[in-house]
Amino acid sequence: MKLELLKGSRTRILAAVILAIVAIFVVRLFYLQVIKHDYYVGLAKAEQESRFVIPASRGEIYAKNGTDPVPMVMNETVYTVFADPVTVDDKAKVVDTLRQVAGGNVRTDFDKLLDNKNSRYQVLANKLTRVQADKIKAVNLHGIGFQAVSQRVYPEGALGAQILGFVDTTGQGQYGLEGYENGVLKGVDGYLQAVTDVSNVPLTIGNDNISVPKQDGKNIVLSVDRNVQSHVESALAAGLQKNGAKKGSVLVMDPTNGKVLAMANLPTYDPGNYGQVADVAAFNNDTVSAPYEPGSDVKTYTLATGIDKGVVKASDTYNNTDHIKIGDITVSNATLGHTGNITFQTALTWSLNTGFVTIAERLGDGTNITKSARDVMYDYFHNRLGLGSLTGIELANEAPGTVIAPDDPSGDGNAVRYSNMAFGQGLDATLIQVASGFSALVNGGNYYKPTVVDGYMTDSGYKQNPTPAPLRANVVAKSTSDQVKQATHDARATSFGKTDKAGYYIGGKTGTSQVIINGQYSSTETVGTYLGYGGGSEDAPRYVIMVQVSGADQLLGGAQDALPIFTDISNWMLDYLKIQPKG
Amino acid sequence: MSNQQNNYYTSRRQQNWSRNQNTTRFVSSVKLGPVAHTVLVALMITVLGLIYLTQATRTTGYDYESQKIDSQIADLNNQKSDLQIENARLTALSTVKDSTVAREMTTPSSTAYVQQ
Repeated sequence: MKLELLKGSRTRILAAVILAIVAIFVVRLFYLQVIKHDYYVGLAKAEQESRFVIPASRGEIYAKNGTDPVPMVMNETVYTVFADPVTVDDKAKVVDTLRQVAGGNVRTDFDKLLDNKNSRYQVLANKLTRVQADKIKAVNLHGIGFQAVSQRVYPEGALGAQILGFVDTTGQGQYGLEGYENGVLKGVDGYLQAVTDVSNVPLTIGNDNISVPKQDGKNIVLSVDRNVQSHVESALAAGLQKNGAKKGSVLVMDPTNGKVLAMANLPTYDPGNYGQVADVAAFNNDTVSAPYEPGSDVKTYTLATGIDKGVVKASDTYNNTDHIKIGDITVSNATLGHTGNITFQTALTWSLNTGFVTIAERLGDGTNITKSARDVMYDYFHNRLGLGSLTGIELANEAPGTVIAPDDPSGDGNAVRYSNMAFGQGLDATLIQVASGFSALVNGGNYYKPTVVDGYMTDSGYKQNPTPAPLRANVVAKSTSDQVKQATHDARATSFGKTDKAGYYIGGKTGTSQVIINGQYSSTETVGTYLGYGGGSEDAPRYVIMVQVSGADQLLGGAQDALPIFTDISNWMLDYLKIQPKG
Repeated sequence: MSNQQNNYYTSRRQQNWSRNQNTTRFVSSVKLGPVAHTVLVALMITVLGLIYLTQATRTTGYDYESQKIDSQIADLNNQKSDLQIENARLTALSTVKDSTVAREMTTPSSTAYVQQ
């Protein structure tokens, strides 16, 4: 018997229906699995995979303790305690525990925050240590969570605050080294993309896992010696208390390599509490970011230029009448009475402006500060010794200052300006520029780029940078350098030598600069400075120190107000560096 | 009609299986039918599947182990950092200056130098 489905039979209809349903399934599955393949694969990945940013650790900052690095800025993990008021079931226990463990870290009225049932996130306490967080975790409070945050800590407190700078709430370095070297300190975050389980634990299954390791920031070692820095800050504070100056800055450098040993400014701030500073001007490091008219300190530059060009020696004489006419202006000495034929050494010792205007004239035709004289002065002051140009020190917000070139289109680089520049007016420079140029004048004639970075801390230990080479060698001849050292030594010895420790070779120059207010030199405000060096003998200056004191509506002098601070630091440095007296 | 007989040479090697080859054939007395074959194949597939699952689970187990170790490392690093900070605070210049030892120190009235 031959079996076959009869046309129109129920079985045949059922077969057709099943076939139709299967066809629908096939079409639908084709649509889902082939046409919409990428879309659903994407959805599945989004569900199964997680992406994690692995934060890089910010580099730490070290100072020197003699020759060993010691930490100045470190990273500490602190914890923020937050609550979900809706899920907190034992408010009394939470309040009691936080009061006992977190103490002063809890927010004011944090217990009332727990009553805010409209919110799912309330911060109860900030900056808890790991130990405090562990104690709270051990109590197992329901509805309480912890968030770990890395913050900068300063074991040395406010020491060297304006060198260091700080890190703001967005993780960016501001001011000082933190600002300048932000990219180096910050490092590069890592990245992990992986299939995770329900607890967000990354699993090795899957083909699309990506792991990019983090690169921690570099740990920088400063050339700053914490002992020198500490003494400099104390000496500056004591000096300002004594002379009543509102502001002060001190810079200590090694003239043989440009390394900064200390850099201090007052007023200052605590980088651990930078948000509480009353005046943001305290963030500025005035030694690098506040150009001013350096005044008589620059006379050492003029003398060096004259000696190096062979137009004068310190022992040469000129006729001092206490006044000298340049064009239609008359330049007078601040100290009167040393008239007649006097040496340039006497002019330096008594800081007589006429002597240095005379040197500028002798660089020209002998009676005029000619264009060639101005070109020579600009070459020495600006090109060779770095006044009015950025030094490139590794600190944020360095200001270039201004030295107007003789051929400046404004016509301001004329003889009158250069007569003023000969004794330190009519140009703007920072302390770091003046001290770096002076270092070249006393170290034998080599200009070193000033630096605050001495090396890096690596996993294998301290890696010191190679010994710096001069940025510009022989900016003045060795013989010129020797004569400038002798002249500044004699200038100091004549009036202030008794304050120095016996047997050492100390030299320096006072500076008292008038301040320009509303385009005019003020008669009620002056800035006092002292720029000098010290060492065991004339052959080896071991340090250069520059001191500046200033204040609005204050008449401050280099000899009376800045020099005592120099002397204090200089005498201490002789002991600290274990320099033996000559003879 | 002639009766022709061809003689072909056959080597001894061709006559036997081949040299050094076992010519004994073992025939099992156990006979497997198609159902037993199917069951065996299904069992083998199941065993292979189980082996795969075991291995996959084992690697995932290592992930948890690794996560646990990472967490311990992070914890220990945190503790190390805390100790380093504490050490830095205890050896900070201000701490040293304020110590009782430092307070009892006096400034020497004179200093002598030995020529080296």
